[in-house]
Amino acid sequence: MRKTVAGIIAAVVLALSGGVASAADCPSRPGLKTFASDAWGIDARNTRFQPKTTISAANVGQLRLEWVYGLSTDTPRSYPLVTEDTIFAGDQGNGLVALNRKSGCTRWTFAHGGAIGTAILHQTQRGRTTLFFNDRYPSHMFAVNAADGTLRWQHAAPGDNPVAMLSGTPLIDGGRMFVPLSSIEVGLAVNPFYGCCTTSGGMAAVDLRDGHQLWHRRSIPAQPKVVGHHFLFVEESAPSGAPVWGPPTYDAASGTVFFGTGQNYSRPTTATSDSIFAVNAQDGSVRWIHQFHQNDAYNTACDLSAGHPNCPKPTGPDLDFGAPPILAHAQDGHTLLIAGEKSGMVYALDPHDGHIVWTRQAGRGGALGGVHWGMAVNEALGLLFVPVSDVDAGRLTGQGQAHAGLYAYDIATGTPRWSHVRTARCPDRPCSPGLSAAIIAGPDLVFAGSLDGKLEALDAKSGKLLWSYDAWRDYPNTVNGKAAKGGAFDAHGPLLAGDQMIVSSGYGTFGERGGNALLVFELPPEKTP
Amino acid sequence: MTATLPLAGRGRRFVATLIDAILVPVVAILLMLVTGVLEHASDWSESAMPFARMFGLGLASYILLNLWLLWSRGQTLGKAIMGIAIVLAKTGVKAPLWRLFIRGLFFPTLYLIVLVPFIALIPAIDQVLIFRRDRRCIHDWVCGTAVVRRDGAA
Repeated sequence: MRKTVAGIIAAVVLALSGGVASAADCPSRPGLKTFASDAWGIDARNTRFQPKTTISAANVGQLRLEWVYGLSTDTPRSYPLVTEDTIFAGDQGNGLVALNRKSGCTRWTFAHGGAIGTAILHQTQRGRTTLFFNDRYPSHMFAVNAADGTLRWQHAAPGDNPVAMLSGTPLIDGGRMFVPLSSIEVGLAVNPFYGCCTTSGGMAAVDLRDGHQLWHRRSIPAQPKVVGHHFLFVEESAPSGAPVWGPPTYDAASGTVFFGTGQNYSRPTTATSDSIFAVNAQDGSVRWIHQFHQNDAYNTACDLSAGHPNCPKPTGPDLDFGAPPILAHAQDGHTLLIAGEKSGMVYALDPHDGHIVWTRQAGRGGALGGVHWGMAVNEALGLLFVPVSDVDAGRLTGQGQAHAGLYAYDIATGTPRWSHVRTARCPDRPCSPGLSAAIIAGPDLVFAGSLDGKLEALDAKSGKLLWSYDAWRDYPNTVNGKAAKGGAFDAHGPLLAGDQMIVSSGYGTFGERGGNALLVFELPPEKTP
Repeated sequence: MTATLPLAGRGRRFVATLIDAILVPVVAILLMLVTGVLEHASDWSESAMPFARMFGLGLASYILLNLWLLWSRGQTLGKAIMGIAIVLAKTGVKAPLWRLFIRGLFFPTLYLIVLVPFIALIPAIDQVLIFRRDRRCIHDWVCGTAVVRRDGAA
């Protein structure tokens, strides 16, 4: 009798607490036949050009918000993966979710409290599709069964950094995955009793079957040494830093992996910070390195005070390559490696040896860009699209006037084609018109999200504003019942997939307006005559 | 209850606690500096359990500052400065060390009031009970202790 009563009580408690599937859930297997993208940059060359979209300059005016999913974080930092009927999205604090593309209901959840910080990647072998994503910190790699959301494997970050951060999205090629490596040491340095700094950024290749390391390339070959002391006991070490924040770019023809590095964390500095690397995809051996800024040493201790014992002196400008380089085919038949830097500079390099073909100053730059998360190209039009943030970064702001907006250049020559300059819409409160988030291009338009919460579609040929949406609002009605708020567009930016455009709104890391809205826009169904 | 010794005043107890709450982290920082237990990147790795190390530093600091005084006189450094001591509530005699150890486990919760406002209610309730007539907080009730004026003044 007592057992029966306990069972009834348990059932009631379970039902009331949501321990059973809610009405919005739709347990089902996702379709896994077609994928809208194969990498963070849509393809391995990081073009951020999406051919698989029906959204065009002619119909973008009809684009409507279809549904909203309330994320579990105010600073979403994951980029979705879309199949014919499913959106896989990283919902930090909740897990990886498989959402029905049309209704937004949840097919399955890989319950997971970690900080999912990358795009969701996929690979199908012997009819079995696996999804891959990384947690930023604590840094772990995950492989999840795409059919039902069960864990295949998880693995600690590759490399030799005890405090590695997995911030940049990896890239899959065959049975291996190239994993960019950065470090939380840039933040640990705020503790004056911390002996800054000893870790190196880098790139690693891991086996997709179980995550074990195939090779690891430090961006700083030399091991750190003690170079000084403060407070009598605390050891100061160098060289350090040169983290890899952005996804790698892959040239299948030459078997080369390209990636950019950030600044050093301590002095003396190295010849590999603020650089573009080209390494052999087979073993990680260096093919060439091109450094663009020497002597750039900075860590977040400098944000507290320039006199902080862990702040390198002189303090560098913190000019990372946050955005991945694009391997772009120009209309003259040449292939260029185009890298945008936080300095606001854009460099077009010969991918064979790294020599500069052309350069352009797109923005004044600063520690938060310049070019921050990612550019795009439309090779059929011969155009490179450069989003410029130029947000005020205090002492680490570049010189001159801000040029927040979107700029188009000729891929082959760097000749400016058009510009879409953005102006502040809210001068009375802190919001920047800058474009920090990565952008995406379709066949005849470009989508960009701004720090002041606007989503815009521009004509690819002319830069004319075709469509705009203000996400700076509340979304009380969401498909998962979790109230959502829109905010700044930052980080990975929008994704085009078929008749939909998907983007997460809100990002509070650097003082912008946070938010937790995963927005899914869609074209209305075509009317039959 | 503590018939022979007057209860310590609330003001003295507050100042004594404030002194302890300031001195323990100061000594913990000095220990961190000398021992270097949180100085290197490997100390902050997930497997190195940096938060356990921080707690360990705090515990070591508390013991270093207070063990001898607690054992010999039933006082922390702050209480010694303020002339008050911990005694058994029923008899008024010096509390045994094991009771003082359990009582000491409540000390880190003080920092929750500042560091983790969301759960600050729990230590706050503990402290607010000082306003009872017997001036015994939850940690006093759990350990069967009271705090008295050591010099016997009213």
